[in-house]
Amino acid sequence: MELRTPRGRRTLLPVVLFLLTGAGVWALPASTPTSVLPNAAGSLKLAVIGDNGTGKGPQFELASQMAALRQQFPFDLVVMVGDNFYGSQSPADLENKFARPYKPLLDAGVVFQAALGNHDDVSTIHYPRINMGGQRYYTYTRGSVRFVVLDSNVLDATQLTWAENTLRAASEPWKIAYFHHPLYCNAGRHGSNVDLRVRLEPLLLKYGVQAVFSGHDHIYERLKPQNGIHYFVVGSSGQLRKGDLRPSPATAAGFDQDQAFMAVEIAADRLYFQAISRTGQTVDAGELARLTRSGT
Amino acid sequence: MPRLWHFTAEYLLLLPAGAVIALIWANNSPASYFRTTLRIEFFVNDVAMVLFFALITKEVVEATVAGGVLHPWRRAVLPLVAAVGVTTVPLLVFAAVVPLFDEPRVIQGWPAVFAVDLAVGYLVVRIIFRRGPVVPFFLLVGICANALGVLALGATAAIPIHLTRFLFLMGTAIGAAVVLRAQHIRSFWPYLLIPGILSWSALYLGGFEPALALVPVLPFVPHGRRDPGFFVDASPEAHDPLSRFERWARHPAQVALFLFGLVNAGVPLSSLYWGMWSLPIALFVAKPVGLLAGVRAATLMGFHLPHGLGWRELVVVGFVSAIGFTVALFFAAAVLPAGPTLSAIRMGALLSIAGAALAIGAAASLRCGRFHE
Repeated sequence: MELRTPRGRRTLLPVVLFLLTGAGVWALPASTPTSVLPNAAGSLKLAVIGDNGTGKGPQFELASQMAALRQQFPFDLVVMVGDNFYGSQSPADLENKFARPYKPLLDAGVVFQAALGNHDDVSTIHYPRINMGGQRYYTYTRGSVRFVVLDSNVLDATQLTWAENTLRAASEPWKIAYFHHPLYCNAGRHGSNVDLRVRLEPLLLKYGVQAVFSGHDHIYERLKPQNGIHYFVVGSSGQLRKGDLRPSPATAAGFDQDQAFMAVEIAADRLYFQAISRTGQTVDAGELARLTRSGT
Repeated sequence: MPRLWHFTAEYLLLLPAGAVIALIWANNSPASYFRTTLRIEFFVNDVAMVLFFALITKEVVEATVAGGVLHPWRRAVLPLVAAVGVTTVPLLVFAAVVPLFDEPRVIQGWPAVFAVDLAVGYLVVRIIFRRGPVVPFFLLVGICANALGVLALGATAAIPIHLTRFLFLMGTAIGAAVVLRAQHIRSFWPYLLIPGILSWSALYLGGFEPALALVPVLPFVPHGRRDPGFFVDASPEAHDPLSRFERWARHPAQVALFLFGLVNAGVPLSSLYWGMWSLPIALFVAKPVGLLAGVRAATLMGFHLPHGLGWRELVVVGFVSAIGFTVALFFAAAVLPAGPTLSAIRMGALLSIAGAALAIGAAASLRCGRFHE
């Protein structure tokens, strides 16, 4: 597995804040993020967010950064790794905590595909804008990528059997799994969910999953490959727990000072990634090669 | 009270020992803990625990004969009505409290609200009240509440229910038990090996909790004419099959309890979130209220409390009923698959043991039981 070192750049621009009374439209982005991704034609371009559904200012600001990035990096998919909504989840709340902050992206036709977090009411699987199709766990493809979305809150035997059957039958060269609770994470509040890891990791290894995205801990962390699988924690796209990262030897990169999201591009046998903060700073970037293992 | 100490040693030390070891192990070496328990959890939860629930069933069966707390059966009616209160009111409170912690998935652990740890609770009421009407009253309420909990498990099966195969196999098991009883079989082994295995298969293949396999079988096993007392070991001179079963199963059941604590109580403290408080809050606040409401309903229906049992004693029994512990852990594992939601309910079940302190504190404040003297 090949991994380039990050080439992060800092963009310095003046911060301009506008606050509209009553409407709650929040700050314009402090800087327009500079994409370092290849941005190649024909590649799969997506964003990853997690623990975003607060309905508060930082979520809106980060969403603005995502919209700004999309001007240069036209992703059409957003992966949501859970805790899509906090607090009450009436239809009005879902609009305030999702449809309003991400309106520019929704209007542009970007598709959001969510996983369930511990704060998400199960009924939100029926919310059409997050495209869960009424399922707690499901799968979909985008080009050469098979996405497997799991409900890590309750890892029942039926779900595990379904996941194994799905991964076994998947013929796509890329297999990416995402679910809310991280199998590997170095945050102080929660950290790795080892119970899930011993049940799920063998399955991911057996069928050649290359990358896993999770949230739950309100930080960003990229871990060094664990048994050949790359793990990303993207749990600060609305919530944030400043200073909660406890880097270990397994930490490749991390950021816990501001909200962040990821831009991801998959082109042929390479996956490019870039983590961008609420103020438009690139806090991590790199690429990884597709690993060929048994099951792929 | 040498008999109570004997009971404590037999029933109450190995499970907490397993639970403490589990907590320490899971929080210091979680990978090895979860890898180990993953390998043995089926054997412990679904096979070994058959013996524990068999012994509880044995106590209930014997309680129906002369001298037992369930004899005559009409004695159970008021506690049954009270048990409806001690389960439904906490359930409503649990449903109301869960959203306050913004952990909606925790609601899936609702059957744990029904659980009453009869062994720990029996010890606590004996410590507070020594003897008298409170002890059998608590046992009856606990038995009825747990029975309602078992029914609740059936309504929340984590895997699909296969009713046809369950009914066929369980019907065959009960039929076999009836035949053995009619043939006056004096050994308990045929009951275990034939209807016992059929019952286990019925529950497992039907999508229900197989650890309850001997619950429908043991009532058919011949037993003594008098109840020696709840949680009192069978006399060595008792030769009825049920007493011989108890003597055989006692020590393996203790090992099963230790392993049960080991497998189910290992909760990584860092992975917990606020939702774990939903269960203990519902139990501590609502069980005394629910019990008072249930008893009130029973008295309005024309039933009477035993002499010496007033509202003060009921409040104390309510707190004792809040101790879910073993049974709550069992209900949680039966209704929730592995994951953070199960961990939250498990921690709530462990915290419910604080009901013992609340019960003793309530008895002291209300000056009942030993604190009345």
